[in-house]
Amino acid sequence: MPRVTLVEGINLALARALADDPDVVLIGEDIGVNGGVFRATDGLQKRFGKLRVQDTPLAEGLIAGMSVGMAAQGLKVVAEIQFMGFLYPALDQIANHMARLRNRTRGRLTCPVVIRMPHGGGIHAPEHHSESLEVLLCHHAGLRVVCPSSPARAYGLLLAAIRDPDPVMFLEPTRLYRLAKQDVLDDGQALPLDQATILREGDDVTIVTWGAMVHDSMRAADLLMQEKISCEVIDLSSLSPVDHDTILESVSHTGRLVIVHEAARHAGLGAEIAATVAEKALYDLLAPVVRVTGYDTVMPYFAQERAYIPGVARIADAVRQTLQG
Amino acid sequence: MKRFHLPDLGEGLQEAEIVRWHVAVGDRIAVDQPMVAMETAKAVVEVPAPFEGVIATLHGKPGDTIATGAPLVDFEGAEVVATTSGGNSGATSAATSQGGVVGHMPETDEVLATPAAAAPRGPRGRTRAVPAARELARRMNVDIDSLAGSGANGLVTLDDVLAATQSHGGGRMPVATSSMRPAADISESGELEVLRSLRRAMAQSMTLARDNVMECTVFDDADIEGWQQGGDYTVRLLRAIAVGCRAEPGLNAWFDGTTQGRRLFHHIQVGIAVDTPEGLLVPVIRDVGNSDAGRLRSEVNRLKAGARDRSLPASDLRDFTFMLSNFGVMAGRYATPVVVPPAVAILGAGRISRDVVAVDGRIEAHRRIPLSLTFDHRCVTGGEAVRFLGAVIADLQLPA
Repeated sequence: MPRVTLVEGINLALARALADDPDVVLIGEDIGVNGGVFRATDGLQKRFGKLRVQDTPLAEGLIAGMSVGMAAQGLKVVAEIQFMGFLYPALDQIANHMARLRNRTRGRLTCPVVIRMPHGGGIHAPEHHSESLEVLLCHHAGLRVVCPSSPARAYGLLLAAIRDPDPVMFLEPTRLYRLAKQDVLDDGQALPLDQATILREGDDVTIVTWGAMVHDSMRAADLLMQEKISCEVIDLSSLSPVDHDTILESVSHTGRLVIVHEAARHAGLGAEIAATVAEKALYDLLAPVVRVTGYDTVMPYFAQERAYIPGVARIADAVRQTLQG
Repeated sequence: MKRFHLPDLGEGLQEAEIVRWHVAVGDRIAVDQPMVAMETAKAVVEVPAPFEGVIATLHGKPGDTIATGAPLVDFEGAEVVATTSGGNSGATSAATSQGGVVGHMPETDEVLATPAAAAPRGPRGRTRAVPAARELARRMNVDIDSLAGSGANGLVTLDDVLAATQSHGGGRMPVATSSMRPAADISESGELEVLRSLRRAMAQSMTLARDNVMECTVFDDADIEGWQQGGDYTVRLLRAIAVGCRAEPGLNAWFDGTTQGRRLFHHIQVGIAVDTPEGLLVPVIRDVGNSDAGRLRSEVNRLKAGARDRSLPASDLRDFTFMLSNFGVMAGRYATPVVVPPAVAILGAGRISRDVVAVDGRIEAHRRIPLSLTFDHRCVTGGEAVRFLGAVIADLQLPA
């Protein structure tokens, strides 16, 4: 079983999809000859040819629009946006066409497109390269939004995304691309797309998180265990739709909820989760829900980004806060 | 020596020009400290230090163009690391493996375990409670898990918690939180007693007063040396209050802070603070301004007796427009009595004593009543208050 990084897991899944299904086509900026800014598509053009792995101009609107056209004609497109801050030109095509094709044609056509993009900061990058913009996508009906947290989950979820008949926004936590390795069996097995995963069972507090924050939340849970505080850590994985059932079941067990996300707090996905728990599980709560998030300001450059991104200390403090009083 | 090579500062940029150095040879620098500003085809980018160390060599001067991957800075030390990305977490991989990428992706030797699927588990069977009920139970030291909820599916409601506090009376309550649990040596001396009845009402009205009333107290004395024998202390105080209220009607009033409205009353209804073993009781003497001394005395007697044996109807215990605390019959000269809203003033009468006073340049000893007037300064002015007090004193100082 190969021991791979998250970005290598993505490369494995892309290669598997290209090999298994002749309709799968990869497009994006510098993904072919260069192998991608993060090397996610390294070697794939050489292996599968220029028709299957195509370089595009530097035009995100074109990438998304072209994906809609190709998908409508029966191809399965996996497009790459180099950084999430470059998503904006593509949003028009994604929101107004890609997400609506099934509804507009009353189910006659679907739009099997995966748009892959790095998500979040922590790699000392300049402006526009470290954004966490998942709510821009989650707010649109017709899109799945998925965010893996480990090499194995990246592999399985990306295969599921490619096989799904509808558009999937696939957010890849940039900081985790090479942070750790995991044994990943390249067996073509997909993971369920709309299920949250309990990464660690616990009794005192539920932590719901996704992407790179899963890593910090797990470390916070380790730290808190030394204080005899038992955390249940849920990797949300699917940001739209949200697997509320798993969260509600966990909260009914622990009675406390901390939501951790790197994106800004205001109108973040954490608010949606907190609201749902308030609507459906208020009487199970033993303490107010606490959110640990980025701040409501522009994502700072490298010198300050550690202050912006929630870390182990802030997560652990939030958990302790729910246990006071 | 550690060598730091120029990383790709854009996406796939081949070179960058040195704008200015922020560090010099011999400087000790920290991780992430900006070392140099480099201008690329896209922007001026600050290049941070990849590791901590002392600078040995700067490759190039401002205006020089450096190729991506060429040496930029050498650090003192033995280890040779040919990388663009020394990293803060033990990364050692070669520059090329990260791709032509902006920034630096951290790498570690960590290997993630693949978690096993979670086993299903049954419901925990914890008490479900309305959040406000849970908080009330915490404050009242009621063990919420001991309550049978009356709401849907056993939901514990506010009423359930309130019922529990009442049914427990003054007896021992289950201690639900550690914050109210005293050390062992203290707990031996007394069980936790949840306030009830009059004492609980006092706690609530005092809290209300503290949170709402802007209290101001003035002190003075009434010289009663000239009183004829047999002056009825309480009746004289009541009469003096009536005189004061006629002089300053603004003290015989209610004030509502929410609407910022006050209501002045024609009749003077004086509540008298009566101390009972169960707590403070405030029976009310109606229409003090139109009552003669005989009626006032008989009402005082009736209300005090009724207060002591708790036989007064509710109608005798509400709607006072002014309050008198005659605490001096026990002890104490001055006090800062507390105004109980919606009333706006309270007069406290202290222990009568013989005071040394100057009379026409001579020293005499006179009987005096110490007076303490507290008023709600939100709706009563200082001038009104002291004019009221002056009228009270003038009336008290009359011989009869």
